[in-house]
Amino acid sequence: MDPLFLANSYFRRRRFDDCVELCNKVLQKNPYEQAFWYLKARALTEQVYVDEVDYDEEGIAEMLMDDNAIAKVARPGTSFNKPTTSSGGPSPSVRPTTQSGRPLSGFLRPGTQGGRPGTMEQAIRTPRTAHTARPVTSASGRYVRLGTASMLSQPDGPFINVARLNLSKYASRPNLSKVLFEYLFHHENDIRSALELAALTTEACQFKDWWWKVQLGKCYYRLGLLREAEKQFKSALNMIDMVDTFLYLAKVYVRLDQPQKALEVFNKGIEVFPGESTLLTGIARIYEGINDLTSAVKYYKSVLHHDNTHVEAIACIATNHFYSDQPEIALRFFRRLLQMGVYNTQLFNNLGLCCFYAQQYDMTLNCFERALQLASDEEMDDVWYNLGHVALGIGDMTVAYQCFKLSLTSNNNHAESYNNLGVLELRKANNEQARAFFQSAASLGSHMYEPHYNFSVLAEKSGDLHSSYVSVNKALTSFTDHIESRNLLSQLKEHFAAL
Amino acid sequence: MFYIAPELSIFERRNWLIHMHYLKKEFDACKALIKEQLAETHGLCEYAIYVQGLILRQEGKIQESLEMFQKASILNPKNIDNLKQVARSLFLLARHKAAIEVYNEISRQQTSVDWEVLHNQGICYLYLKEFTKAKEYLKAAIDNNRHEISYIHLGRVFALEGNLQIAIDTYKQALEFSPENTEIMTTLGLLYIKIGQNQKAFEQLGQALIYNPSNVKAILAAGSMMQAHNDFDVALMKYRIAASVEPESPPLWNNIGMCFFGKKKFVAAVSCLKRAAYLSPFKWKIMYNLGLVHLTMQQYASAFHYLSAAINLRPKFGQLYMLLAICLTHLEDSNNAKKAYDQACMLDNYDPLVNLDYAIALYNWGDKRSAIKQLRLFEDKLTILKEVKSNDVDPEMEEVGNRLNAMLQIGETSSWKETPSHKNEGLSSPAEPSAPSVSSELDEQANLPSPPSESPSASVDKSSEEKRSAVLSS
Repeated sequence: MDPLFLANSYFRRRRFDDCVELCNKVLQKNPYEQAFWYLKARALTEQVYVDEVDYDEEGIAEMLMDDNAIAKVARPGTSFNKPTTSSGGPSPSVRPTTQSGRPLSGFLRPGTQGGRPGTMEQAIRTPRTAHTARPVTSASGRYVRLGTASMLSQPDGPFINVARLNLSKYASRPNLSKVLFEYLFHHENDIRSALELAALTTEACQFKDWWWKVQLGKCYYRLGLLREAEKQFKSALNMIDMVDTFLYLAKVYVRLDQPQKALEVFNKGIEVFPGESTLLTGIARIYEGINDLTSAVKYYKSVLHHDNTHVEAIACIATNHFYSDQPEIALRFFRRLLQMGVYNTQLFNNLGLCCFYAQQYDMTLNCFERALQLASDEEMDDVWYNLGHVALGIGDMTVAYQCFKLSLTSNNNHAESYNNLGVLELRKANNEQARAFFQSAASLGSHMYEPHYNFSVLAEKSGDLHSSYVSVNKALTSFTDHIESRNLLSQLKEHFAAL
Repeated sequence: MFYIAPELSIFERRNWLIHMHYLKKEFDACKALIKEQLAETHGLCEYAIYVQGLILRQEGKIQESLEMFQKASILNPKNIDNLKQVARSLFLLARHKAAIEVYNEISRQQTSVDWEVLHNQGICYLYLKEFTKAKEYLKAAIDNNRHEISYIHLGRVFALEGNLQIAIDTYKQALEFSPENTEIMTTLGLLYIKIGQNQKAFEQLGQALIYNPSNVKAILAAGSMMQAHNDFDVALMKYRIAASVEPESPPLWNNIGMCFFGKKKFVAAVSCLKRAAYLSPFKWKIMYNLGLVHLTMQQYASAFHYLSAAINLRPKFGQLYMLLAICLTHLEDSNNAKKAYDQACMLDNYDPLVNLDYAIALYNWGDKRSAIKQLRLFEDKLTILKEVKSNDVDPEMEEVGNRLNAMLQIGETSSWKETPSHKNEGLSSPAEPSAPSVSSELDEQANLPSPPSESPSASVDKSSEEKRSAVLSS
């Protein structure tokens, strides 16, 4: 059989290893065989291909040394940094929040958990339920790992020696330049050379190819030159409307912390491509980010209208229903996920909770059993925590106590469990124990207002007004509209102001 | 002869300015000035230190302010004010015994009696749970100088000891002294409810609402009384005001739910009650109400779950066992139902209803002899109840009793299906909706800091990030 045909067939069947091996054989005989060179480069690229459109987790360095911020104190609703400023979101006492003070999302994606921390200390701490630490910078996070992994697979040295490449030669050969670019960008992760190649090629085709402009933008984005990236994407959009370009441009704005601008881009995209689910999802994510859940759910619903197997949309809508007192409807959405073949701890956990709150008692424990079977060590804590809530719901304090303890054995930093253990101890009138639990909860979960408030009430009861004042203020910083805390604070202030 | 204006001593030169700034709450300016003054006088200006202590306290830094006041009292040990502030700081730091000692020291130095010292001593004793001494000092304080705060605390002491009548008298006196204090009015109203004088309670609460229409405590109490008189629409109107002020109050949602229950809107009732239970999972009354609503909706399994939860939270309460027994009867588990009835009879030997329900259940199971025994018990209890308060007896209950009596005498064998279920609605709902709501405002005593016990959450869905398939490659 013709080796070229065979290699091509391997490539199309995504058997990249076989393809590369075959190409190697031919290239050893004749290193100037262009077709095989082309195929090998593509096969190697495909192995490590990551869609750049996806959001990526921002690293600590980008977040703390962010010099792109437009305003230090953003106006309400115009920044991801202060999601609590926009009103209309659900109250934290009904729907729990993540570390950044944003309500819990139904779908875990990069950036939903941690948000943007204000201090170094907060940035280093791993956010709730996401146990992997944040990468130090995104440039060194997953990209470097991908680069080195691909190096290992070639014992006889790199396929292309980037340093010795004559880029201007390739720039004038459009058939090879695109492959070479993707290889450099994805496989070698050598953004500088890729950028150089892209710049040379755009020049060679007299700035008339939109594809190269998008690639230039991608390189600039990777290098953190966001404004340059924005320029390239915009000029690409002037030439031709593409879904991807819209997504890239919006991504730049998200990184620049300009949610309104990103929304504008998405809406322009929707006008050209009505019903494109990726664009709609983007809009919904941004609304979720700025704490406008009503709009977010509206857009998730329209995503489902166009793509009725969209896992993220179903999960988010279900979560929203659950937290707005409609566990029955949430149950239906989660069941749909189960029918679609999602089969993991989280789903069974959620199903169990929905069953319990919708009074389908016969199913509740079965769901939780399944969740526990499927749970890895990292996920075990949340399942036990929720089981503790079920036990509280049927009034069985002993079981609840044990559940929260078990949650702590699998994750020693589970702040919510500490808080609830404190409340249980308080019911048994073990004030000292309760105080210790609240303190550890408060130190572990700075995003929660509950332990601070509980601690404050406890301190006020025992007459220690000073500690009470300190912690009630902390409670109010994470939940400004908490009525009980406010009442307590005004009482304390009265005490202090009296002569 | 020349009169030379007396030169102000240099230490006190700027005291007036510090004072002015402090009064205007311009703390930053005040602090800067104090710093300057202290630097000039090498930390010997008493007044500056004193004001610094006051400012620190208002900023919540009690420990530091205590140090300031101590410094001031070292500078000038004769000044009573400094000592008073030291004592007050100790009080705020929960070192009540030390505070009392300092107050004793003050009264030794002072010749005249001081209201402030007496009052604060009383409060310290209150925190130390020595009620007799607390009362003594608070009374002395009132004798010295009538002040509403002393009245309020004295009333609290009496209420804590269970002397409701004396507490009411105290609050009444307080109200004479300051007739527009809504807090006193509300507390007085709640106390009236506790001793069963509903008319007076309603007057007090209405008065409180006139002065402050959005007083949540008063609204809840007044609303619960309206509910007791089946005036659900007006109560809902009141609750609407309260809900805008405190959207997350469990007692409020409980009462709203029971309003809907009274209006026979069961689904709305269930969702309101569930929200209340979500916000406060430890309140047995909410669970009780949820059980009651589900029982009325004939969802016996759910009712059973809520009732058993309520029993877990509050183990010794006969009514709960009675409802549980009714539930079990409908679930056709006669053995356990019997046990539950027995338990209910054991725990509650006042309410005739338990025996009546038991008798009906026994009759339906065909055990006539025991049924007659229970009916006799019922009649005994009914007569006792009538003697105590004749107007509070539900006529329906009596009628059902008579009918059952007739059937047992005649020995008719036809079973009597509807009565039990029909009856319990009738009887427990008037008793109930008011009960939970009343207790809710009397919360202060029982106030567990539980409300924020974490919503059941953590339902993060990690359903795998999807990767969009490759786009764009030449």
